[in-house]
Amino acid sequence: MTTKLEPKPIAPEDWRAGLSEDQLKELLYLLKLCRYFDERMEALYRQGRLPGAIYSGRGQEGTHVGVAYALRDEDSLFPTHRDLSAQLTKGLDLQRVMAQFWGRIDGYTRGRDGNSHIGDWHGNRTWTVMSHLPIAYPVACGAALAYRRKGVPNVAMAICGDGATSNGRWHEALNVSALYRLPVVWVVNNNLYAYSTPNELEFPVPTIAERAAAYGMPGVRIDAQDVLDVYRAAHDAVERAREGGGPTLIECLSLRWRGHAGHDPAKYVPKELLDEFMTNKDPVRRFEELLRTREVVNEQDVAEVEERVRAAFEAGYEYALSSPLPEPGDVTKGLYVDDGYWASEPGRGGGIPA
Amino acid sequence: MATTTVEAGAAGHGAEPRGRRSETGEATYLIAIAEALWEEMERDERVFLLGEDIGAYGGAFKVTEGFIERFGPERVMDTPIVEETIVGMALGAAMEGLRPVAEFQYADFMSSGYDEITTALARYHYRSGVPIPVVLRGPSGGGVRASSFHSTNPEPWLSHAPGLKVICPAFPSDAKGLLKAAIRDDNPCVFLEHKWIYRRIKEAVSEDPNFVVPIGKADVKRDGRDVTIVASGMMVHLALEAAQALASEGIEVEVLDLRTVQPLDEEAILASVAKTSRAIVLYESHRFLGIGAEVASLIAQEAFESLDAPVVRLAPPNVPVPFSPSLEDAYLPQVSDIEDAVRKLSAW
Repeated sequence: MTTKLEPKPIAPEDWRAGLSEDQLKELLYLLKLCRYFDERMEALYRQGRLPGAIYSGRGQEGTHVGVAYALRDEDSLFPTHRDLSAQLTKGLDLQRVMAQFWGRIDGYTRGRDGNSHIGDWHGNRTWTVMSHLPIAYPVACGAALAYRRKGVPNVAMAICGDGATSNGRWHEALNVSALYRLPVVWVVNNNLYAYSTPNELEFPVPTIAERAAAYGMPGVRIDAQDVLDVYRAAHDAVERAREGGGPTLIECLSLRWRGHAGHDPAKYVPKELLDEFMTNKDPVRRFEELLRTREVVNEQDVAEVEERVRAAFEAGYEYALSSPLPEPGDVTKGLYVDDGYWASEPGRGGGIPA
Repeated sequence: MATTTVEAGAAGHGAEPRGRRSETGEATYLIAIAEALWEEMERDERVFLLGEDIGAYGGAFKVTEGFIERFGPERVMDTPIVEETIVGMALGAAMEGLRPVAEFQYADFMSSGYDEITTALARYHYRSGVPIPVVLRGPSGGGVRASSFHSTNPEPWLSHAPGLKVICPAFPSDAKGLLKAAIRDDNPCVFLEHKWIYRRIKEAVSEDPNFVVPIGKADVKRDGRDVTIVASGMMVHLALEAAQALASEGIEVEVLDLRTVQPLDEEAILASVAKTSRAIVLYESHRFLGIGAEVASLIAQEAFESLDAPVVRLAPPNVPVPFSPSLEDAYLPQVSDIEDAVRKLSAW
């Protein structure tokens, strides 16, 4: 049984979800940027031009952009490798993101990690992603605890997939967050598969959202094909947490259009299901159509957005490939704070030609 | 060398109060640790404690007895039994500028939080540049008839996770000074308190609030010219007892207390071996791939020309810590084992 959030700060009849025209256009840009980035990076990967791995978030942009857009700059975000679109929405610089994919010194982890195992705590308050899921759920509790101790009205948001909800830490973190009434929003990107394992082989209850009742917090389930529905739910939960109302669990439903990682053809997803989502539940196309119908944008506006997206990607690609590789001699540096490796060169600089 | 008194009785847990300094100002290891926490909490508002039963109950070994009355439940946070979340919360709070000190009831239970410790806590700074001022502390080691799940010495598990500092003092003064240093350090530190030492060893301990002992520095606890024993924690005390007995036979043993096993004070180890030309590495974690394996390898590689005899390792066999007194005594190196090894090595 899922709990509805009452009262909703954003009126359900407000189709704009309280957003201005500029904000709606910004959302369209972000959705299209994330989709384009995902498609182009996969192409480069398949051409053998991109080292390492890719973890596509395609089809789930409604979740990623919708939840992250509800955060303020000073709020923190604890995502997974699937959630790069949420990090881009939170403000990560696409150029530095792309430098990371090519292992360059200007990437956010300075070559110490790759692909979407990325984060920018100092700048955009996002967790540097780890693979062991949901490893950051307990960490989000700690950030939220610090906000309360310091008396600042910030909120921590953590994202994981349906797969990670079976892990013990997911339950520990939800329990503790409710016990201490922490300012946290728990987002589950339920894209119907944990790698190849479908929902029905993952948990014996109809929804993930109803598990919130066991921890005494509200749980909501959202069809994530409409970004504004996601944004509304996230906004309500974030503001509720900010006002001291405690944590909320939000289950966002979508489908992972691509495999778990670049190598996975995802033949376990029935073609009819994939067709249904790609045809009728594409969050990017649906939002564009909404804005056109509501006459917020016209064809030319959309073309301009798409041109901005292409230009941003091209600039990111050039930046990434011209960024140096890390100095091999620096491999042992920055393990401890003591050697000042990160303090002396905040974020970038140095390196050897690629 | 510090003055010590050996008290009867095992390091119990539960009912016994923590106790006070003696009239002459001597403090047990347990009291020294409590003083370090107390002073750092008084000094820095950002320092707070979290763990199981640390509030009104005062902790399983009574380290935090009386803390909640002084600092309140926000800074002395009782948690449910959630080791992964205790570590994760400490990490998140540190990322936001607090300085958490998390208590494990036994260091054995660090394995219940292992992923958060070795994957999240240890590796976060190297990949992000974010300072992580976290201390995890817990009672480590055997010798108190506590069997497999309350006697583990996890030094190698933790030392093999790059990014952590692993501290394992043997004396009250070192415990106090190193814990204060760990709380002030911007890196994640694991502070292993040997439960056999808790109430057994006492000495004069500084009351200067700025007293700290540097992390990563070994200390010669007994000077000697004939054989070096490199040890940590409880094993230091066994080595000192053996050294005392051997002195009457004319064998002068040098006892080097590592105090920190990660980072390892290689310089101090090599300096001692350069002097004695003979080395025993005495340690409580399993012999196979234990800390002493690394120390022995270091000596063999870097001090080969100084050596007059092979490097000897004395350490438990590769089995879980057993309960029965006959088995636990067979498992842990005993003073007589140390004496025998020193005699053999001296005669080489």
